Amino acid sequence: MTALAFSLPDRRRLLGMAVPFIAVIGSMIVGLLLIAASGKDVPDAIEAFMDGAFGSAFAIGASINRAVALSLVGLGFILAFRANLTNVGGEGQIAVGGIAATALGLWPPIANLPLGLAVIVPLLGGTLAGAFWGGIAGFMKVRFGTNEVISTLLLGFVALLLVYWCVQSTALLRQPQTSSATLPESLPIADAVKLPGLTGNSESPLHIGLVICLLLAIATAIVLQRSTFGLRLRAIGLNELAVRRAGMPGGILLVVALAIAGAFGGLAGAIMLQGEQYYLKTGFSSGYGFDGLVVGLLSRGSTVGVLAGALFFGFLRSGGISMEIMAQVPAALTLVIQGLIVIAVAGSVILVEKLQGGR
Amino acid sequence: MEEMLAIFIASTLRLAMPLMLAASGELVSERAGVLNLSLEGMMLTAAFFGALGSWASGNPYLGVACAILASVVVSAVQAWLSVNLRANQLVVGIGFNILALGATTLLYRIIFGGLSREEIPGLPKLAVKGLSDLPFAGTAFFQQSVIVYVGLALIVLIWAMLNHTSFGLSVRAVGDEPRSADKAGIPVAATRWKAVLITGFMAGFAGAFISIADIHTFTENMTNGAGYLALAAVIFGGWNIGRTVAACLLFGAATALQFQLPAMGINVPTAFLLMLPYLLALLAVAGVVGRLEPPTSLTLPFQRGK
Repeated sequence: MTALAFSLPDRRRLLGMAVPFIAVIGSMIVGLLLIAASGKDVPDAIEAFMDGAFGSAFAIGASINRAVALSLVGLGFILAFRANLTNVGGEGQIAVGGIAATALGLWPPIANLPLGLAVIVPLLGGTLAGAFWGGIAGFMKVRFGTNEVISTLLLGFVALLLVYWCVQSTALLRQPQTSSATLPESLPIADAVKLPGLTGNSESPLHIGLVICLLLAIATAIVLQRSTFGLRLRAIGLNELAVRRAGMPGGILLVVALAIAGAFGGLAGAIMLQGEQYYLKTGFSSGYGFDGLVVGLLSRGSTVGVLAGALFFGFLRSGGISMEIMAQVPAALTLVIQGLIVIAVAGSVILVEKLQGGR
Repeated sequence: MEEMLAIFIASTLRLAMPLMLAASGELVSERAGVLNLSLEGMMLTAAFFGALGSWASGNPYLGVACAILASVVVSAVQAWLSVNLRANQLVVGIGFNILALGATTLLYRIIFGGLSREEIPGLPKLAVKGLSDLPFAGTAFFQQSVIVYVGLALIVLIWAMLNHTSFGLSVRAVGDEPRSADKAGIPVAATRWKAVLITGFMAGFAGAFISIADIHTFTENMTNGAGYLALAAVIFGGWNIGRTVAACLLFGAATALQFQLPAMGINVPTAFLLMLPYLLALLAVAGVVGRLEPPTSLTLPFQRGK
């Protein structure tokens, strides 16, 4: 995979990678300054951050699990982006994936399936739900000419409210209301539906989602760089009209591209549910869709870039949470850092083009 | 029953107000070809700095000024990035929203920390003399915060500007055909800059409405998607100001219904009512309510000679 991704180790590629790197460093420095300005002890905060991100088997496992969800959304994003489609709906695709995985996982006939099918069927269900959600945007684009940015964004909000609906109504997924204190959440899924751990160490939450993610990352790299399908995506991204004139089924390709992006999001949702959260609640997707989009964008279309970005954001999130608990530095600081990185990278596109001596 | 209806109308207006302010501002920018996904972030920033200004100075009007200033600063950076640096407007918008959520939460914790939920000096409700005591219309229309009346005037002003001034014509020209506009001597970059600043101004007003006029405090992520709802209203309104304002009222009514219907013994899932605006906007962009024509160059940066 490394060979695939670094097959063009020229100056342009290095410059392209340097910008996110500089943005990350710069934003981290701003973050440190903010900690200092707020009167908190900087070494304390750094120690809490490191502890939460890398300090224990638990911390590392939790960070990598976060990175898995982010990578999946990011991989789906770069696939669709190859066809010049911007999928802003990751958050909603995670949500519908989570709903489907919960519904299937709580259904006894499926929870009692043998041979690991109790794990696999909800994962596939979540994937399909996400694919359907992304596919709607693709269909609207082809049939009505609706800009996918607008439709995926709107569908995202609908999906988030669907989660809210599901956990508010006992007719849907809400746990039976035994008292007025019953929380608006689903029942927890059975152990048979939970993703198996990867390390055998009961301390570490690391689960087989990592393996699934790495396999899909390799598949994505191959599809993007070595397959006819990848080539067609690129072609339609560059010139839709020409692709249609050449007799390729352009419309279907667009729907498939967005459905695949959605499928990755849906799978991420199912993995988040079956791997760590175990029950559905409002706000279940907690920003992973938008963060995954950011990861996809920063990667500039490279699979390795997605994995690296996702790891960075995964550790950033874990460290941020720990910083809030142990050093009283609000975890919102990590949002500030993320936002600055995104804006800096987006703003420097022209600069990079100039430096590369391109267009 | 009649009293309930009056209260319903009043709460619809109250809930629709920030949407109307933000959406009519955003409309100007979108007609000029710049999409501000950062609308949510601008509103949240404004809500925070409005609350901060009002709290620190004890004067809610100064608070409104702070809110507008903060939001205009955000919009200036957005304009610089999308017009001069030709950055991807969506990405920049998402970045701003993440940054605004993080920065306002962080500053709120640092500054207000222990005094969370402290009430800030708010704007008075202005009972219109002679009208506020009317039996039905009084409750429904004439006991609103002072900012409501100013806001409505601003919206009319934007309508007049877009449709009846040469600046409005330039705005539409650079949003549809920047190349032709450029050849006709209309300064594309400057026009877009002004349009985005107008969005910032209106979003600032909208944010100030939420924190200073309506809730009288700041809470984390208090705009809670209102900016996105305003974007949906622009879409549902087909980039036409009258229809956009109507869409905001409709969205406000849907939100108000979630409090009204249970009181009337009608059981409709809250989630459905909250979802309704987004579903309507989806139907609208699918062309179900008539063909929509977004500004031709929406989200496309302009560069002379390319």
